[in-house]
Amino acid sequence: MRAYLEFAIKKFQDKMAYRLDFFMGIVNTAITILVYLCIYRALYGNAADVDGISYSMVATNFVITLGLSNAFHYNEMFLQDKIRDGSITNEFLKPVSFILRLLSENIGEGAFKIIFHFLPALGITILYTKLCPPESVLGLFAMFLSVVLGYLILWLISFIIQTWSFWLFSVWGIITIKNVFVSILSGSLLPLWFMPEALRGIISVTPFESIYFTPVRIYLGELEGMELLWALAVQIMWIAVLGLIANAFWKKGVKKLVVQGG
Amino acid sequence: MENMIEVRDVKKYYKIAKREKGMAAAAGNLFNRKYETKRAVDDISFSIKKGEIVGFIGPNGAGKSTTVKILSGILYPDAGEVKVGGFIPYKQRKQYVKNIGVVFGQKSQLNWDLPLIESFELMKFIYKIPQKKYEENLRLFSKLLDMEEFINQPVRQLSLGQRMRGDIVASLLHSPEIVFLDEPTIGLDVVAKERIREFVRYMNETERTTIIFTTHDMQDIEKVCDRLIIIDKGKKIYDGSIEEIKNRYANIKTIELLLEDGRKETKTFDVSKTPMSVVMESLFSEKNIKDITLCESEIDSIIRDIYEGRVILDDLEAERN
Repeated sequence: MRAYLEFAIKKFQDKMAYRLDFFMGIVNTAITILVYLCIYRALYGNAADVDGISYSMVATNFVITLGLSNAFHYNEMFLQDKIRDGSITNEFLKPVSFILRLLSENIGEGAFKIIFHFLPALGITILYTKLCPPESVLGLFAMFLSVVLGYLILWLISFIIQTWSFWLFSVWGIITIKNVFVSILSGSLLPLWFMPEALRGIISVTPFESIYFTPVRIYLGELEGMELLWALAVQIMWIAVLGLIANAFWKKGVKKLVVQGG
Repeated sequence: MENMIEVRDVKKYYKIAKREKGMAAAAGNLFNRKYETKRAVDDISFSIKKGEIVGFIGPNGAGKSTTVKILSGILYPDAGEVKVGGFIPYKQRKQYVKNIGVVFGQKSQLNWDLPLIESFELMKFIYKIPQKKYEENLRLFSKLLDMEEFINQPVRQLSLGQRMRGDIVASLLHSPEIVFLDEPTIGLDVVAKERIREFVRYMNETERTTIIFTTHDMQDIEKVCDRLIIIDKGKKIYDGSIEEIKNRYANIKTIELLLEDGRKETKTFDVSKTPMSVVMESLFSEKNIKDITLCESEIDSIIRDIYEGRVILDDLEAERN
């Protein structure tokens, strides 16, 4: 267990080595959020709300979804590169689980970006616009939990596609398509409130809604009591399902590598 | 003494997709792909005792790295049995890898952006090395490999020689019983090579670490290894001491002749079949010779001759048995 904590810490330190990346990360996150806020402020004009959704709610949605999706971004070509240059073999020579190691490293990177990219960008955004305050302290805690679960769902989807590099020469294209799907279906391009009813119905049976939109709704107090618990349970269910799929692909891929040669 | 490594009748074949030239063939490949089988390791057997230090050589593509990968548990053999330190490497990988150290000279395991020392720290947690032992080992290794001055530098700023020393230390910090060094001296200067050789020797002598060393540098083999295994085209063609191969080869002499008219000629002959005096006599009677040089049979040239098929080792092996 200690080793995995160290993987995360080392990655965290790793990111600190680059100063320009640190400053650009803040600028990048702040600009992404502010551009969307400008667009939606113009769309709202003088209207107090659209479909019962106020501008502040939309702004809050974008701060959380865009801020987090920037923070949760990492090198998704990692496994492919390791397989291509053959250094994947080094991973099998260590008495640790590769999946957990990769997850730890990505969490370390995510933690760095939340603290050093997201929080400063959040500060800048607050100067520009008024956001909804958290509905309750309990809700805030529930949101943090939900963000962690959402991250795991996002990570597992990415990892499943990364494992395909055992069979495919390049997964870059698939990852790009996946990222488009994630940004549309998770509500970081258009808040899910505004999606057509039919599409919303489809999205609700996919894992995408659980990534960012569940935390957003918990933060805004849209989900409370049993509804909140149910939303968290759905997140956990998706983690279990995706985890099983990811593990199956990984096992098969490793087997292919060690049986057929690297 | 008990055998540390047992390899029996191991085979490993690769299936390679065959690509033919031309547009029609390329289109055909999309639907009907043809494969050919490459025998990377073809029926190899050997055993290595605890504390032995064995050099593994062979031309590029001979199957050295494949053998090392099978021994270190990364690859499944297609046939045969492998047992290392009581484990079947490819079946009990997670348990097994705690006991071994592996260095692939061409693939670093160090953390690119962090100081070297941070990668070592990580090894401490990965292998659960007790703090005291970790400190002892680190102090000893950094003294032996002269690492004090660059241990706090990020790995990306290190020279190849420094990085390689770092890699070797990283794979030995947990005091493994068996160490696989796959081309650890590749691309290094003479001084760095020498330092690594001394270190490997030291580890073998003091810790009785069993070491398998693959290389293309015969100096590595001469200075470090007691025993030599040569493989070519997936088959073992020699297994024995370096002295022995030299002695066997000592009968084959190469002479360089400088003729009166300025031309140079080289002659190779076997003194066990034709005595030196006879050879000289016939040479001097046939040609106008100005100067004559007897070439030493260096291990380098012996190996080159073996690779190029000028010496057939089957004869040597047959004679020996």
